[in-house]
Amino acid sequence: MHRTLHLSVLFLMCFAALNACKIVKNADPAEAGQAEEAQTDEARMALLSRQIWEPKVLPAVAQLLAPLPDLRAALAEDVDAASAQYGYKPEGEASPWNFAVAGSGRVVETKMKSRAAKVEVDTDGDGAADVTLQLGPIIRGTALRDAMPFLSFSDFRDQIEFAKLAGGLNKMAHETIEIPTEDPIGQTVTFEGVYTFKDLESRPEIVPTSVTFGAP
Amino acid sequence: MNTNRRVFVSGLAAAVTVASTTMGRAQDKGLIAIITPSHDNPFFKAEAVGAEARAQELGYETIVLVHDDDPNKQSELFDTAIARGANAIILDNAGADATVAVVKRALDAGIPSFLIDREIKESGIAISQIVSNNYQGAQLGAEEFVTIMGEEGNYVELLGREADTNAGIRSSGYHDIIDQYPDLVMVAQQSANWSQTEAFEKMESILQANPDMKGVICGNDTMAMGAWAALEAAGRNEVIVVGFDGSNDVRDSILAGGIKATVLQPAFRQAQIAVEQADQYIQTGSTGLEEKQLMDCVLINADNAADLETFALSS
Repeated sequence: MHRTLHLSVLFLMCFAALNACKIVKNADPAEAGQAEEAQTDEARMALLSRQIWEPKVLPAVAQLLAPLPDLRAALAEDVDAASAQYGYKPEGEASPWNFAVAGSGRVVETKMKSRAAKVEVDTDGDGAADVTLQLGPIIRGTALRDAMPFLSFSDFRDQIEFAKLAGGLNKMAHETIEIPTEDPIGQTVTFEGVYTFKDLESRPEIVPTSVTFGAP
Repeated sequence: MNTNRRVFVSGLAAAVTVASTTMGRAQDKGLIAIITPSHDNPFFKAEAVGAEARAQELGYETIVLVHDDDPNKQSELFDTAIARGANAIILDNAGADATVAVVKRALDAGIPSFLIDREIKESGIAISQIVSNNYQGAQLGAEEFVTIMGEEGNYVELLGREADTNAGIRSSGYHDIIDQYPDLVMVAQQSANWSQTEAFEKMESILQANPDMKGVICGNDTMAMGAWAALEAAGRNEVIVVGFDGSNDVRDSILAGGIKATVLQPAFRQAQIAVEQADQYIQTGSTGLEEKQLMDCVLINADNAADLETFALSS
């Protein structure tokens, strides 16, 4: 037993030595660093997000897009039927539905100085906010990713990679929309975007793919 | 400690096999093996109980086995399940890399595996991988943590086992939120390997080195319980502790004004879904679903803690 062990150790050492001989030259440290960086989950998923944004993501949003008042009325009548008609969700129990909506309204509340900047919008004219538009740069949730029929968790290594994909798509949304330099409170706003449905009481937190602010 | 537990920790897989086999079901649809980490953590116990109950309802015999997060032991348990001619294996695994080979071995022996809670690093070997949406859940926990911290102060993070993907994903979810607040400063980040005793010890020493810390965010509830015990012992009840899992222990602590929040993983239901998919697969040769499936988590705080029982929320 001991002899075998010694032999294996010896063999391993030879093998290691042989392996070491194969290294021909040292890579340029700067280059190596760059290659490493390009391989992080975040960087790879950011790149993928950019690649699919125009050709696939925006068309999929357009495909799913419904007028917000129509969706709201349908949800109030029958959540399951409305979800099946208007929504998309990844397979599996407890995966929530995602909707793409087009709407307009008046900005009644703003939080522009935050890294997670957002505006609260009254879209039904009752003076109270009924949707949130997330402007970012920090945009929470995975609605954009989960509303895409062509993106499946099974195609990704693990949750970490899949989460970075959601982050990459949220970043693309933030990059795409034009954020007003002045506080848009009181202005009208027209928007398209995606959100994950929680329940009828929860205010939709929309990740916008387009936003236009106008005069009050 | 009940008798079942003593059987589990007594060691020999064979003994466990015999002890917890339920014989003589009328429908006789075959055998489902349920393999999880140690039931010392009530989360894993809830999984095993949920899976076993559903399997028996559907007419299967069951064997319940624990691998204690030891890949070698897990490998032996797979041999046991294969030797017993199990029709399916429900598994909460002992490591994202180490588990690939055993799941493959079972598949080659004609036994499909249905994974819960933890992923493995490869697709196409397990039939289903049903996991909590840990990233979404961690973001919920982090948002609550940030709010209670008042967006500022020194804090500590206790991480789970490094070999477990969930440790990394939760930490990543926490930091994607917390790091947006420059006045929140992480003064220590250590692994307590999901363990209550380890979290207690780590917390004691971290507290000595960082008396000005204001909050602790933990990768799971058992570590949150350990950290809270250490803080309480040091008379630091004002420190904000947030966990992850949604255990009854943390629920009770929240209701008593101790730990501030946790995130519920629907462990019980998740295990049942895995059994239902196994049944579907055994009957028809397909689950009809994607291999990898996410289940969303729910924030638990003083508002809804009273509705929590054994990893399920009554509505």
